Amino acid sequence: MTTYVVRRLLLAIPTLIGVAVLAFVLIHIAPGGPVAALVGDRATPAQIAQVTHSLGLDRPLYIQFFAWLGALVHGDLGFSYVRQAPVTQLIAQRLPATLLLMGFALVISVAIAIPLGVVQAARQRTRFDRIASLAVFIAWSMPTFWFGTLLIALFAVTLGWSPVGGLQTIDTTAFDWPSRIAHLLLPAATLAIVSVAGWSRYVRGSMIEQLREDYTRTAIAKGLGPSTVLFKHVLRNALIPFITLLGSSIPGLFGGAVITESIFAYPGMGQLFWQAALNRDYATLLGMTVITGMLVILGNLLADIAYGIVDPRVRYD
Amino acid sequence: MTEAMPKRHALKLTSIAWAGLGWIVLAVVACTFAPLLLHLSATATDVANAYAAPSGAHWLGTDGLGRDELARVLVGGRITLSVGAIAAAVAMLIGTAYGATAGYYGGWVDTAMMRLVDVFLSVPTLFLLLFLAAMFHGSLAALMLVIGVTSWLGPARLVRGEVLSLKERLFVEAARAVGAGDARIIFRHIVPNAGGTIVTTTTFMVASAMLSETALSFLGIGVRAPMPSWGNLLSSAQSDLFAGAWWLIAPPGIAILATVCAFNFVGDWLREGRDEGVAGS
Repeated sequence: MTTYVVRRLLLAIPTLIGVAVLAFVLIHIAPGGPVAALVGDRATPAQIAQVTHSLGLDRPLYIQFFAWLGALVHGDLGFSYVRQAPVTQLIAQRLPATLLLMGFALVISVAIAIPLGVVQAARQRTRFDRIASLAVFIAWSMPTFWFGTLLIALFAVTLGWSPVGGLQTIDTTAFDWPSRIAHLLLPAATLAIVSVAGWSRYVRGSMIEQLREDYTRTAIAKGLGPSTVLFKHVLRNALIPFITLLGSSIPGLFGGAVITESIFAYPGMGQLFWQAALNRDYATLLGMTVITGMLVILGNLLADIAYGIVDPRVRYD
Repeated sequence: MTEAMPKRHALKLTSIAWAGLGWIVLAVVACTFAPLLLHLSATATDVANAYAAPSGAHWLGTDGLGRDELARVLVGGRITLSVGAIAAAVAMLIGTAYGATAGYYGGWVDTAMMRLVDVFLSVPTLFLLLFLAAMFHGSLAALMLVIGVTSWLGPARLVRGEVLSLKERLFVEAARAVGAGDARIIFRHIVPNAGGTIVTTTTFMVASAMLSETALSFLGIGVRAPMPSWGNLLSSAQSDLFAGAWWLIAPPGIAILATVCAFNFVGDWLREGRDEGVAGS
């Protein structure tokens, strides 16, 4: 087990370097490159050359890359000239809010998707299953921003049950849990809609597959009650592959956060990335891509390890 | 490995797949021909008639500049449907070539190519999409390309998986025995046999490319105004709602939802049909 974890960690390093190279290359193939965004459209060639030189951007690309990588190892992600702040600080300010949002969305998704998938599988091909499947398809096909706006129109504007957006009520600067949670419900529901749809379909399919297995027939033949078979035997086995799905859903959640955070004016990573892309704030884009990549790789690693703990058939070699 | 070819199951159209196919045909035909037949203009403004509710003259009402909403939805459909189709085609071309090459050669080529896919998968697709769309914002062709080049990972993995099993089949050995080169074997023999997977995946890719168009248009870096698309009609309808123009929100919303659903229904039906075909072989 330890060797497996160490090996997986070592394998994660080239992937992470790959992410850094990918982000670096993308930024340098962008029209104008990093300098154009800094000096504006009306700069003279001499000004451009001067800024390029003072930032060290006229050095060969690989030297720039290794300089940046060396700083990264020391926890320095560079400086955002657009925001006049270190990138590490910008990310540190916003990452907790986004992780909270993603965590909430995950809880909502699991709480809805698993029971829905289980009931659909248990009542396969009934009217309930058909209607639920149709609803899931509609949820899956819905533009996220539209769903978010519908939620605002219904719960915030018409019913007045929930705030329209933001992080928490502005009159306090202290961390205010009830207000934070009230501000999280609608964004988390919006972020969760895609995973609720995808996962409930997955759980349904996985349950149906397990229901056909011999061990299920044996359990029923032994005279066990339907709920014991369903929850103690079938569900447990159906959920094992679900762990991998959880791990691989992290990039989608970060991506979804871009749209969700911009609908609800929620100051998180997604909003930061969007603004950085519009302002061509390359240092921030690069730093965020690497930090997100790190979290994604970590998530997949944890999922793989958890899979191994839950399913003893997995061999570490 | 048995050499029995999977039986060709006559795919029975379920009612939901019928509905999906019917809607797709209807949407394509209506968006292509209706604006011509009805003599509607999507760009002619008529400020005196701004925010007019649905009536005999304007079946779906008018927007803030007095443009006919029906014409804008129909012409917007041309844009969104073509973005969906062309972006999906780009993604499938890259994904199929990449996945088939990795799967066919196997070994270190496969390992290296799939490690690169892992790298791409570690960056949220929407981040890449947003970055590229912001960089190359402007033409419709750029938008189609950007959506296409950020969605080939899924198809590449699926095609690779299919090719890994197809390359062990006798017809590949037969092709090699008559002296066919690698490229010919991959693209003339193996890829056509993976047609089922490719068609099914394409259907889902069209649906997801259309959703990408709406997301980018909402974020302001998708289809550029005044050109209508379902994405930017829907996102501008949300601000029109505050002006009291309730009739603008439903048409583009329903158009996107129904069309994306339709493609997903058809894709799901194709996939299930194939799974049963394999199970019954």
